[in-house]
Amino acid sequence: MTSRGRVMAALAGSAVDRTPVCNPTSVATVELMDLVDANFPDANRDGEKMARLAATSYTELGFDSVMPVFTIIQESSALGCEIQWEAKDNWPTVRMARPIWQTAEDVRMPSDFLLHPDITCVLDAIRRLRREFGDEVAIIGKTMGPWTLGYHVFGVEPFLLMSIDDPGHTKLCLERMKEITIAFGQAQIDAGADALTVPDHATGDLVSGEYYREFLRDLHTELVDEIPIPLILHICGRTVDRMDYIAETGLAAFHYDSKNDPAESMAIVTDRIALIGNINNPQTLFARGPEDVAGEVIRNLEAGVPLVGPECAIPLQTAIENLKEIPLAVQRWHADQARKGPVRADDQ
Amino acid sequence: MAELTDIPSDFIRAELDEFVEREDERAELIDFYAAVAPHLLEISASIISGRNHDADRLTLEALAGGTPALEVMDGGLIAGMALVGIKFRENFIFVPEVLACARAMKAGMVHIDPILSASGIEPLARVIMGTVKGDLHDIGKNLCIMLLRGAGFEVIDLGVDISADDFIGAVEEHSASLVGMSALLTTTMPNMGHTIEAFIDADLRDDVKIMVGGAPVTPEFAEEMGADAYGDNAVECVEVAKRLAGVGR
Repeated sequence: MTSRGRVMAALAGSAVDRTPVCNPTSVATVELMDLVDANFPDANRDGEKMARLAATSYTELGFDSVMPVFTIIQESSALGCEIQWEAKDNWPTVRMARPIWQTAEDVRMPSDFLLHPDITCVLDAIRRLRREFGDEVAIIGKTMGPWTLGYHVFGVEPFLLMSIDDPGHTKLCLERMKEITIAFGQAQIDAGADALTVPDHATGDLVSGEYYREFLRDLHTELVDEIPIPLILHICGRTVDRMDYIAETGLAAFHYDSKNDPAESMAIVTDRIALIGNINNPQTLFARGPEDVAGEVIRNLEAGVPLVGPECAIPLQTAIENLKEIPLAVQRWHADQARKGPVRADDQ
Repeated sequence: MAELTDIPSDFIRAELDEFVEREDERAELIDFYAAVAPHLLEISASIISGRNHDADRLTLEALAGGTPALEVMDGGLIAGMALVGIKFRENFIFVPEVLACARAMKAGMVHIDPILSASGIEPLARVIMGTVKGDLHDIGKNLCIMLLRGAGFEVIDLGVDISADDFIGAVEEHSASLVGMSALLTTTMPNMGHTIEAFIDADLRDDVKIMVGGAPVTPEFAEEMGADAYGDNAVECVEVAKRLAGVGR
């Protein structure tokens, strides 16, 4: 099975030869930037460098997917938000204290949105990756969900206050912003993406599970209906209280955080959606060694998590050694399982 | 010891009954609310419900009726935020609801602040808060600030992307005894350590207590950097600030 075949099968809930390893958010690190001479911030704005850095996920780390969109701000930049692009060793961020929109009337996708350089560089990177790798590795794109776009364009606090003051108006904003999600997603499909990550940070650290149900469950189902390739929802933080709702959407996968127990999460979603994750970033991948990384990989495999990888965009200073350990641990675990042979009913 | 029925507000009684589960906390709050006048508990209720226009009106009415500003703040506004903090800590409410409550608190404090300043009443402590250099995330810091103000601290909010020099300058300018630093990114959390080092270099480290927090920050990392304390969330931030400032509930 090729890496691409493995990822796509797992996203479809079909059989695989071994659990695929992927990070549908970002695996860029400073070490990888040095290795291929593609540094932030250029690698976030130049399609050729973006593709070169993204390819390292497959060529250097042995993951089964590549993800060229390292940031969560490409669309926001194209919509007119102020961006602090930062330097090689830091993430770019939207200046959310200076929101560009106040009401649903302001929500408008510029006619040249898809021609903005921070959008075209992503499309260029996907085309390059497709040309270079063909069907070898899964190419995952990224289009921001309307909830996260809301944080960027309205500001986090005004947007959350709007949600409590006027839920109807908030839903109208989300409905209109959904068109931006779809447009950028479709453009990436046209460029050659196999699947799309949809980060939409309705996290338990900010809002309740009922909020997800009220504002996003149906909207995410609409995204599934309108975007014709597998969609991977990403939400950081605690999400166990909304996983049942997420599993009802028809999304192909949910990229989940280490704050959620793998076995408990699997018990909630069952086979309705594929979980991806959930190796801890700051405490394990960033601060510990391969042995601890392997431990978390195994925890996910034993829980039956169908795609394994880091919980979110990995810290830029993460050691390559720790990242390489993820596919190695997956391979070792599967070899062990093969040696043990199938479990008979009377052994259980 | 007071009983729940001694509290002269149906709303507050129902809130305590439904949301406060820890026995010690419940007993302490019942004692506290039972001693508060009904018109101040109405202010508390407006804070807890996030009704900012009511908080504004009721605060003005209480002041016009002769209730001292300090009493309105302690018995009405801060008393309301105390329950908000507990509901948030226990996941009965989330950030949007807390933002609405904090907005109501602010609507009342607008009338209280000038009176307290004019009469020279000191806050629990003066706190400098900011998100460290290279980091523009502020929702966590802002929640801490809302709850700190709700607990009676004076907070100087420096905003986001704050350099070590700016933290030091603010401490000197405002004679603050506490500093709170926030970071959401693994790439920026080392700047907390750099800021603490800058306080040492400026010979100011012994003059302030420094607390840190943020999603990727851990107690171990905080200790390694030389911080005085770590807070896992906004409610803990208030508890930590009280401990560092040496003040009670």
